[in-house]
Amino acid sequence: MALTIDYSKVAPEGNIFLPRECKITHVKQVTKTERHFTLRHADNSKVKFNPGQILEVSLFGFGEIPLGYASSPTRENTFDIVVRTVGRVSTALNKLNEGDSLFVRGPLGSGFPLQELQNQNILVVAGGIGLCPTRSMIQYITDRRNEFKNFTLFYGARDPSQQMFHEDIAKWKAAKDVDYHEIVDKTDGKWTGNVGVITELFKKTTITPDTRVIICGPPIMFRFVIAECDKIGISRDNIYLDLERRMKCGVGKCGHCQINDSYVCVDGPVFRYSDIQNLEEAL
Amino acid sequence: MNDYFISANDFDAFVSKMASERNVIGPMAKKTKFVYGKIQTNKDLRLDFDVTILPPKKVFTPTCQTLVTFDGSKFEGAVDKQPVILFGVHFYDIKGLDMTDQLFSENNRDENYMAKRNAATVIGSNIQTVSKRAFWGSIGTKVAPKGHDGFITKIGAGYHYQTLNQKGEALVGYGNFKPATNEQAEEARKINVAMMSKCPETLKHSSEDIAKKLRDSFKNQELWANLSEDCFSCGSCNTTCPTCYCFDVQDKWKLNQVSGMRNRYWDSCLTEDFAKVSLGAGAEENFRETRGERFRHRFMRKAAYLNEKLGGPACVGCGRCSAACTADIADPVNVIKKIMEV
Repeated sequence: MALTIDYSKVAPEGNIFLPRECKITHVKQVTKTERHFTLRHADNSKVKFNPGQILEVSLFGFGEIPLGYASSPTRENTFDIVVRTVGRVSTALNKLNEGDSLFVRGPLGSGFPLQELQNQNILVVAGGIGLCPTRSMIQYITDRRNEFKNFTLFYGARDPSQQMFHEDIAKWKAAKDVDYHEIVDKTDGKWTGNVGVITELFKKTTITPDTRVIICGPPIMFRFVIAECDKIGISRDNIYLDLERRMKCGVGKCGHCQINDSYVCVDGPVFRYSDIQNLEEAL
Repeated sequence: MNDYFISANDFDAFVSKMASERNVIGPMAKKTKFVYGKIQTNKDLRLDFDVTILPPKKVFTPTCQTLVTFDGSKFEGAVDKQPVILFGVHFYDIKGLDMTDQLFSENNRDENYMAKRNAATVIGSNIQTVSKRAFWGSIGTKVAPKGHDGFITKIGAGYHYQTLNQKGEALVGYGNFKPATNEQAEEARKINVAMMSKCPETLKHSSEDIAKKLRDSFKNQELWANLSEDCFSCGSCNTTCPTCYCFDVQDKWKLNQVSGMRNRYWDSCLTEDFAKVSLGAGAEENFRETRGERFRHRFMRKAAYLNEKLGGPACVGCGRCSAACTADIADPVNVIKKIMEV
């Protein structure tokens, strides 16, 4: 199901480390530390990937970082990424502006299993920056809404200033066919919505046991959300985790992202929970 | 496949002629130890070496290898296809190379390794001196050395040279080789067979039993904490291992700050930062935070995780990690013995 990179086109000599150039068509500062980029391939070729797949984004002289696609492949002329200023590469990326180039290798890894998700009730639980990679699936669902049944979205942020994708949030709130709930860990005084941990949102709506659940967020969040899913009686086969790891190559060689026998960059980053529940290093 | 014989005197001339015309890498003395380096004349080549400090993987995946060069926003790959003759590789290191060949070629084939590897001629040599921590006689005994192009064995009157393919055959032209007699071929075979029982260290269990016990011991935190208690997290066991190939990728500017290289460097899963990610605002998550978790990861990789894929453990028994470990806790024979006793 996963669309893997065709190296014969991208890298004629089969060098899996050769990136392709992309142009920034739009850039927006979304929080104090995060910038949202819209990119197109410099050769204007169509963008093909699965929601949930990843890419290595780089700037020459600074290095590469792994990121998830933050938009849906239903928008095939451009794609989005969100970069949080953390280290050397992300700091350099976040100084770029419209018209500038950056370089990508991808799509890499496996994405969400679209065939399994179609015509199902879907719950996406996104914590913090975990909304970025899951947005590839969220946008896919909203773009092809008739292919899915009930769609519920839980979004938790540390505080209101950390919320991203405000335009999306406004649309999700207004949409009758998106059951959107949000929460913040800490209020800023002006916030009138939910305050607390993301699992509080399970009290706000009804999630049926046949729901397919997609989870992405800080490592600690997974365990608590899975515990809620267990309470509802959701099969662990129907829970998909979008994991984060250190990745230097993205092609299953460098060893950094290994969890027991699995490489997150090629076997994931999306894993079915039942497949990894016994891997001690997974969560 | 042909069997040749060359006298000791002719062998020296052969090595010097080959080294003058081709790029030959072989075992050389470095103070009291041995390293793989460029052979200029027969005097450089030390086939009586016990074990080299670093395994021959460094020829195909150097400690620093340029993957991409860039100049502004222009960039190109740096795949190196220069031919090299790697001459004088013990059978355990041939096994190690065969494993990295498989791991770099499968799935997303890595031409940065494979192009150099395919352009190389690898000639094995018999073990004349046994290193102090070797246990190659008792590990992965079902995995035969393969992927080399010829094998040379020192016998009484000179050397027996067996070619395995055209690449191995091509070297015959550099020396006064004659067809080997059956007796010479038999003498070489016997020497190599006899050597298998001469290791100072021995594993008492089969690879299958070890792999199973290792996996069963995964959650025994006390065991792993004890085994790794003195670990300095220095990664010497990784760097000296013939089957460790993990790497980091870093960009380097040239002085002009316009052009530069994207390089890969050897990395070590025993080091503290190996599986650490930064989350921003000073927060970080380390997916193998404790020494025990990292030590366990290495042993799982060596003796369990890759077994199915490689047909046996990803350890060839060279003993380099045992010798390199500052705290002397890495010796697989000792570690496996303790695990099997639990």
